[in-house]
Amino acid sequence: MWHITKREIYDNLNSLRFALTTVLLLALMVTNAVKHLREHPKRVQRYQDAVTESLNHLTDRADDSLYTLAQYGPGNFYKKPSLLHFCANGGESVLPDVVEVDKPPVFMTDAEGNRLLEGIWSLSYPDANLNNKDVGPNVSQVDWAFIIGYILSLIALWFTFDAFSGEREQGTLRLMLANSIPRHTVLIGKFLGALLSISIPFALAVLVNLLLISTASTVHLTTEAWGRLGIIFSLALLYTSLFVALGLLVSARVQQSAVSLMILLLTWVTLVVFMPSTLASIASSFSPATSFDEFWKQRNPIQENLWDKYKEGRSSKSVDRRLRAKSEFYTENAEREERWQEEQLKYRTSQVHRARAITSISPATLLQHLMARFAGTGFERHLQFVENTQRYARQLREFVADTDRADPESLHILGVREGMSKKPISPEAVPRFEDTLNLNRDFNTAAMELLLLTLFVLVLLSGAYLAFVRVEV
Amino acid sequence: MLKTLIGRELLDNLMTFRFAAVLLITLLLVVANTVVLVQDYEQRLESYTGAIRTHYQELRAAKTYSTMAILVDRAPNPLSIFNVGLDKRLGNLVGIYHGFMPTLWNAQMHGTDNPFIAFFFSIDIVFIFEVVLSLMGLIFAYDAIAGERERGTLRLVLAQPIGRGQILLAKYISAMACLLVPLTLSLLFALLLLTRSIPLSTADFLRIAGIVFASFAYLSLFYLIGLLISVATRRTGTALMIAMFVWGFLILVYPNLIRATVNPGGDIQARIKIVENRIQQILDEYERERQKFLEKEGIAGETSEFSKALGLHSYAFVDPVTLMSYVENISLISEIHPEFEKYVPSAKRYYSFVEPLSARTVEKTWHIRKQALDEIYVKQAAMDRLLLKFSPVGVYDSATQAWAGTDLKGVRDFFHAARRYRKAVIDYLYAKEAMPSREWFIDDKGAVDWSTLPQFTFQRSNVATNAKRALPDMFLLLICNLVLFMAIVLIFIKSEV
Repeated sequence: MWHITKREIYDNLNSLRFALTTVLLLALMVTNAVKHLREHPKRVQRYQDAVTESLNHLTDRADDSLYTLAQYGPGNFYKKPSLLHFCANGGESVLPDVVEVDKPPVFMTDAEGNRLLEGIWSLSYPDANLNNKDVGPNVSQVDWAFIIGYILSLIALWFTFDAFSGEREQGTLRLMLANSIPRHTVLIGKFLGALLSISIPFALAVLVNLLLISTASTVHLTTEAWGRLGIIFSLALLYTSLFVALGLLVSARVQQSAVSLMILLLTWVTLVVFMPSTLASIASSFSPATSFDEFWKQRNPIQENLWDKYKEGRSSKSVDRRLRAKSEFYTENAEREERWQEEQLKYRTSQVHRARAITSISPATLLQHLMARFAGTGFERHLQFVENTQRYARQLREFVADTDRADPESLHILGVREGMSKKPISPEAVPRFEDTLNLNRDFNTAAMELLLLTLFVLVLLSGAYLAFVRVEV
Repeated sequence: MLKTLIGRELLDNLMTFRFAAVLLITLLLVVANTVVLVQDYEQRLESYTGAIRTHYQELRAAKTYSTMAILVDRAPNPLSIFNVGLDKRLGNLVGIYHGFMPTLWNAQMHGTDNPFIAFFFSIDIVFIFEVVLSLMGLIFAYDAIAGERERGTLRLVLAQPIGRGQILLAKYISAMACLLVPLTLSLLFALLLLTRSIPLSTADFLRIAGIVFASFAYLSLFYLIGLLISVATRRTGTALMIAMFVWGFLILVYPNLIRATVNPGGDIQARIKIVENRIQQILDEYERERQKFLEKEGIAGETSEFSKALGLHSYAFVDPVTLMSYVENISLISEIHPEFEKYVPSAKRYYSFVEPLSARTVEKTWHIRKQALDEIYVKQAAMDRLLLKFSPVGVYDSATQAWAGTDLKGVRDFFHAARRYRKAVIDYLYAKEAMPSREWFIDDKGAVDWSTLPQFTFQRSNVATNAKRALPDMFLLLICNLVLFMAIVLIFIKSEV
């Protein structure tokens, strides 16, 4: 078997396609690295500036008083740019990179502008950025996901379309099978040979790419990032072997190598180019979105209900009751606002999820999703970021309640100036927001997709085996 | 003799597996996608009519002239099914106001229900053709000469008393005749699906004919590229491999590589800042004149009371990204306090002075702004498009966009119309003597009657304009065809059998 593999590799190494592949992959990977080096520092700078500003808000408010912190909350939350942005862009330009902290609303003021009834901070999720000002051509990303998903898969077919049909044409297949080698050994040898000869230029291109990126002083890859890169590289191999298997399958069934390449190309075009987009548009037209107006309408009755409740409490004689009614109004208003926003986000998310699930039939999309997930970009990452901010918001609210409880002078009525501790607190004591990525979680959620991709490979490989066993020379 | 050759070639091509495969796949892709695209178009049309309805209501809700809210919407282009271009991406809703100049950079989107769906790449018929037609052309061409050479039949053919150019011509004509079958069949199906739910005008059919013609030229170009490879190589295997590489490079690699290196920005900021300052100067001048008027009126000292009486809000600012200058004077009151009634004559004079002034100011800034926008944004975009045209895909794409009217020029036509409409609205306000009237700022003596306001209409540019815009790219496609054909003939004549 190793003999066959070795022969295949030597055969390929001397061929024109090997040279062309190497040049192509190198050019793409270098472009990718240069682009990343040019853009990543800017992204990081933007993120750091934003985080510093947001932290300043937090510090100022904590310095002022616990009440200010409870009312105004922390500054906005920003999504940490991924170190592996060059692996998969994941549509980051469309996704918002911030979860905003809304200013407290003011419902009533008296003649002098004093606030009689206001609110407290709440989270709000901005919409996707639709770049409707850009008049240039659509900008595309030459990221690893593109290079692997489109180019490498095409190269895999390019290397395998004549694996059996070519030998048959030359008459060497007969020779090989006349030896006492079992057919599955021949098949596996061919498979490994093709996979390895594609991996050589790919690994070379990847090495050049990573060398450029890791030696630059502006970008620093962490150990975890290297681990993730390892996973992404194995993903690339898994995906490539899918197309190698497909190539072998068709090559075994078809007599002429030209016909084989044609069938493969048409299959490739359907699987990689058309299926993702067509399926996505079908899926998105299946479930028409609830428009913004409808969501807005849902919101109004909620608010009126809250008002009625507050009016009851307001007319109470006891100061404590009045303050409590106010506090309830504030917190509930913020809660409802948040819940309303969350529902809207959830609705949209489920729509996108449905579309993504349908498009997963195409291996190209599966790869894109997996790459984005492990590179820490894309839609799932965005949801994780949103979840992180929600968790932090809860944490901060608990912290405020606990600190208030520790102050004996406070009435412990949260959100109301008269009812809360007005002592400044040390900013160091306030919990900080940290946007973290969890590799374990990524693995768990990616399991289904990984399984599906592996299944595709296995099915195609056994298909190739069956086709080759039955083949007549 | 030529006829016999063509007949033979035609039969050869038609009876092959590749013909059946190509026909099937093109039909399948075009039909499946057209169904989805038509549905998408209908959704957009629905959201457009919905937007028009709400905007009409909003206009009716404005009781005074100064609070008027005229919003105009851009209808989706039915030909965006063929090439979506910028039709879906650029804004389709813009306000009309005398203190503001509507451009596509200020436009917003109506009916973006779930913006996250923009996440998915959407395709159109031209995109399918870009990929499939080019593949088809190469698949039919790679063995045209190399195959005959391999089988030894080329010698036989050349032994006949026909010129080599004629052989090539016969091959070209018969292959193109074959390739036209999937192209026209799939287009017919697409049109069938289209016309069932979308009414198309004669002009639209002419535009579609233009798109078909461009597709034909594109297909022929790739066939010729394949033929060139076939003539230049000895073996079909090599020819096919090179053809595939060329295809991958031209369709996949080059456009993406170029678009990825497109540098958004550059030192735009500095250039914008300069223009912004110039516009700010004009706005400052406006503010000075406004203050001068208030002084002359003798209410400069009581300005705050005057403003309070009228609920007057006055802004003039320039947006640092789109360079939009916005000048507004608006009265937000529902009644005038009896003791403030004395200000009414001043208010009438104020508005009839300040509103024409703000319209003039905005027009003055528009000259500067237009130039800057063109220089900073449009020129850069045109440059990027030019780079894309080094691949036939880019040429084909921009030619079909021009035919469909979804290119930048087509979209900008709408904003030209919006600016003309702004002018019409201003003329209407002058004609009705609205500015010196009481209804300009208060509705206590009757609300404004909007029924005589001129309606906004926008007709897409006529076919001749589309043709004129598509002409350079069409010409380029044809020239490339011609040059390639001549090159092939030359190589073939010189080659040994």
